[in-house]
Amino acid sequence: MTTSHKPVVLVANRGEIAMRIIAAARRIGASPVLAASVADANSPAARAADRVVVIGAAQANLSYLRPEQVAQAAVNVGATVVHPGYGFLSEQPKLCELLEEEGIAFAGPRPETLRAVGDKGSARLVAIEANVPVAQGIEINDPSEVRSLGEKLGFPLLIKAIHGGGGRGIRLVTNLDELEELAPQAAQEAEVAFGNGALYLERYYGLARHVEVQVFGDGEGNAWIFGDRDCSVQRRHQKLIEECPAPGLSEARRTILHDSSRRLVKALKYRGAGTVEFLVDTQSEDVVFLEVNARIQVEHPVTEEAFGVDLVAAQLRLALGMDPELPEVGPVPPASVIELRINSEDPDNNFMPNSGVLTEVSWPKGPGIRIDTQVETGYSFPPYYDSLMAKLIVRAHDRKAAVAAALAAAQNTTIAGLKTTLPMLEYVLSHDDFIAGEIPTSWFGPIWEERKVTDNV
Amino acid sequence: MSETPSWQELLDLVEQLNNSDYENASVQFGNVSVRLSKNEPFVETASPVVAALSPVSAPVVNAATPATVTSAAPVGDTIDAPMIGVFYRRPSPGADEFVKPGDTVTAETTIGIIEIMKLMNPVVAGKAGVLGEFLVTDSNPVEFGQPLVQITLN
Repeated sequence: MTTSHKPVVLVANRGEIAMRIIAAARRIGASPVLAASVADANSPAARAADRVVVIGAAQANLSYLRPEQVAQAAVNVGATVVHPGYGFLSEQPKLCELLEEEGIAFAGPRPETLRAVGDKGSARLVAIEANVPVAQGIEINDPSEVRSLGEKLGFPLLIKAIHGGGGRGIRLVTNLDELEELAPQAAQEAEVAFGNGALYLERYYGLARHVEVQVFGDGEGNAWIFGDRDCSVQRRHQKLIEECPAPGLSEARRTILHDSSRRLVKALKYRGAGTVEFLVDTQSEDVVFLEVNARIQVEHPVTEEAFGVDLVAAQLRLALGMDPELPEVGPVPPASVIELRINSEDPDNNFMPNSGVLTEVSWPKGPGIRIDTQVETGYSFPPYYDSLMAKLIVRAHDRKAAVAAALAAAQNTTIAGLKTTLPMLEYVLSHDDFIAGEIPTSWFGPIWEERKVTDNV
Repeated sequence: MSETPSWQELLDLVEQLNNSDYENASVQFGNVSVRLSKNEPFVETASPVVAALSPVSAPVVNAATPATVTSAAPVGDTIDAPMIGVFYRRPSPGADEFVKPGDTVTAETTIGIIEIMKLMNPVVAGKAGVLGEFLVTDSNPVEFGQPLVQITLN
């Protein structure tokens, strides 16, 4: 029998985040129900939930990506609140609206907030209005006056076609002479390619870091700021390693990031957990707004461990009309935390994803180690979804100790049966550049390629 | 409990049967029926070996029994819900049921309606045969793939 007095949390996701939401639901005394595809109906997350409801076929576009199927599942099981996790429907206003019609809460921002920050153009306008620093862009009205515009903007910069797209019509220029030479060419090219020669200039940050701020809003304009994360170890815009706090940030820069984020939360009357992403330049003091992620993020555990909070439980509490029970904290946490994303991919073969049975899974133990996953020995990793297998999160008293502890934890992890990104993670954690900290997002690609070359010689 | 077994569980089942003395086996495993034979072609045995396989066929999910399943796990062929929703056996309240047990249906025969977020979707039999017992009561929620009605195929 279901216990009717408990709130029912419908978990509209899979994998490690489904496990995470189930744990949070238990923490607040709610009953977790998993909305699963056929492929996940017997998953570890399904076993961990009080009940499973099968919402559709294995392919995500027939199950996890269908707002009406998830909303119907919520109705069928008598859900009080739906938690969408990340990805899938987490930032879809449609699910939020369907649930509103049924009087079921959504553990996320309001649909109008999702729309306002959902595309880069409108998010940029919101940011400008909230006095958040954004990348400068200047339209070129007369190609003969580019020299003065270039002087105004500074170098390096990008010449972009206003009507361009897909990376076409973009030129990188590093000085005034180059700009004067290339601007007319770019205008001509854009005229031919897009039927319109209009150009604009944008400051280019080739050696920037990805730093983001964890925010939480009560939906009425009040904001909590839970420090920052550095997510600069990236491959093709996919984050590989994240940490909290971001290393080497000056107090002044940290203040700009946190205060800007707070203004954004207040301006949006933001509801629940969110992240404000920034580019932090390593060549200048510039800080530039990128976007708002209106959801819980994959890397939220580094913040939770650093500050000792449960952000997912707070999301559920707020959605249920309760006090989120979050503390006011300072800008820098009392610990340093690193998260490793272990993916089902072969780092020596262009990060090719693989699926199949895991013949052995064993995790390191010890103080400060947290594993967020649903994989276990014998689990068959399905081919239908993304390749995130597990998150290994390690906390220590400072960054140096955290890096060492994360390396040891990675080395003491066994995942057999499939290729994983563990060897790549161990390589990064042993690299002097990473150990020193403050690497830009462009760092990983070349160093991994070089490593392969030297290994093959 | 009718749940869909995982691929791994099916592989385990095959392995267990392969290492056993059975020549043929017909196993109802959740809502999937599996027939295995060491010798082609498959020979239907009088009594399936379900009982012998209880360690394997034990339900692995602690999911609550859907309130709509009226009887024991279905045996044989069934028509399954093509989507999650609410299942209706009548075109409107008070009207006659689309079909009843004992009716002969074709693949195109409408056997009910599934409502998903106020959208009504006709459910067709998808196969020809004679209907048996309904496994879901009228106006109750159903999951994707849940058996709705038994059918004896033509």
